[in-house]
Amino acid sequence: MTDAAVAVHGLTKIFPVPFRRKPIVAVRDLNLRVEAGEVYGLLGPNGSGKSTTLKIILGLVSPTRGRTEIFGRDSNLVESREAVGFLPENPYFYKYLTGAEALRFFGKLCGLGGARLKNRVAELLEQVGLTNARDQRLGTYSKGMLQRIGLAQALINEPKLVVLDEPTAGVDPAGSRDIRNLIVDLKRRGTTVLLSSHLLAQVQEICDRIGILAKGVLVREGRLEELIAIENQTEFVVANATAGLAEEIESLINRSNAKLIERRRSTTTLERLFLDATKADKPRESHE
Amino acid sequence: MTPDRHRVFSFGRIAAITSNTLTELTRQRVFYVLLIFALVLIGSSVFMARLTFQQEFQILKDVSLGAMSIFTSLLAIVATARLIPQDIEDRTVYTILAKPVPRFEYILGKLAGVLLLLAISILVMSAMFIAVLYAREQTVLHETLRQMSAAPREQLDDALRAVRSSALNIDIFPGIAIIYLKACLLASLTLFVSTFASTNIFTVVVMVFIYFIGHLQATAREYWLQENSAGWITRGFLALVALIFPDLQAFNLVDDIVAGAVIPLTLFAKTAVLGIFYTTIYALLATFVFYGKEL
Repeated sequence: MTDAAVAVHGLTKIFPVPFRRKPIVAVRDLNLRVEAGEVYGLLGPNGSGKSTTLKIILGLVSPTRGRTEIFGRDSNLVESREAVGFLPENPYFYKYLTGAEALRFFGKLCGLGGARLKNRVAELLEQVGLTNARDQRLGTYSKGMLQRIGLAQALINEPKLVVLDEPTAGVDPAGSRDIRNLIVDLKRRGTTVLLSSHLLAQVQEICDRIGILAKGVLVREGRLEELIAIENQTEFVVANATAGLAEEIESLINRSNAKLIERRRSTTTLERLFLDATKADKPRESHE
Repeated sequence: MTPDRHRVFSFGRIAAITSNTLTELTRQRVFYVLLIFALVLIGSSVFMARLTFQQEFQILKDVSLGAMSIFTSLLAIVATARLIPQDIEDRTVYTILAKPVPRFEYILGKLAGVLLLLAISILVMSAMFIAVLYAREQTVLHETLRQMSAAPREQLDDALRAVRSSALNIDIFPGIAIIYLKACLLASLTLFVSTFASTNIFTVVVMVFIYFIGHLQATAREYWLQENSAGWITRGFLALVALIFPDLQAFNLVDDIVAGAVIPLTLFAKTAVLGIFYTTIYALLATFVFYGKEL
């Protein structure tokens, strides 16, 4: 069997609280496997242990029990992070650096340099739509722009695994859509994505598999379509149906043992409406 | 594009963190302290216009080297105190350590950035100080020449030699090097304190205490040894105190230099080694604490 992109074995993390007898159990007996090339969503309410799990996987926090691996290498080893990109929740970065300087700095940390780094920085700024803001200091960036530069730094070394902690938290719908498109693009290129979120609609759109954490325990896990499918129901979406056709289908259903639960007009999403309405006068690099 | 194979130790990564730290400190305008130093220099030379040249040069050296020592110490503490806590608060440390960067390289890079900043500061301050001292020396030489134009040749030469010998002499350079090493020690100790401190204020307050106690501890130790016999427990205790509160008075060679004493090479070497030893020990302790830290 090939190595999983991420493997978590019997992970428990307990944070002792000073002056209190009862410590906090952030994660309890967690087993998880993210296969190479898939988009995995770790879901859960605030404080359910998502960020702690991600930090342990990245070797930023040490586990109380159990172990985690990235492509078969123990997370405690620095070299396990060679092929990883990470975007933390609400990152600030160095305010005094410009967008291009920040990417150059992170590139150097990954062992890149010279013309190779220069080209990669230009390419990434283009990819996240920040070419015009490349010489602007990060202190002047809007929340959405910061999140995109954060994503760019996570991709600087063309990682095989990208870990995103709440990638769209606090970003407006257009920025959020951009980030989602970037994730879809990563998946198409074969990059594994592990993301945490509590924005369920978004996760539903992009994730292949999900795991739901509640109070540090994995309560559900599996392929998204299997988890949310309702076994005994079927949906049709029909365009240009005449009233007659609709009546005919309905009577056909009534004559069988099946039961019609709902018949309604298709609607667009509120998000689509918002994006269409604001598209014309909202350039990508404007400030919120 | 796969980067080259992971290296356990990389100068490139450390250099990236060092230059980033230097950029951070420079763009936060910590060099303003140099402006204050310039004002002290100008202020003191205006004030001393009425003294004899020996007194003037002596006070100028005393004030300048004293200010240099205080400013670099202050800069070392203030600039270092917030480096790591700020990175943790802004979560920047996550993005750095989520790259293949070992924690000791992060600490080393940060410390090297501050040491570079201190080196630049002390070089600029020394250049300003030497320029002012040289300018005053030239003025005094011209005045002496003018006043003694009628005097015999030998008398004039003696007078000029007296001016030159009391102005700039090479002995102050080892003194400045030791001031720099004291600042390095303080920066390294501040970095260590900041790895476990909960707030920046705590770090700065602790460091100010250590600064004062460090200057007084030699006197206290001598007094203690006079009153008590030096058994191994006493010696052990004193060694521990010396580790927590470094003997900063030992780094104060400039007072003797200004007073006209020549610093023996062995004393200079001993003090320099002590400075490097303390700086290294504190950097190691900072790394040790940082490795155990939950981020």
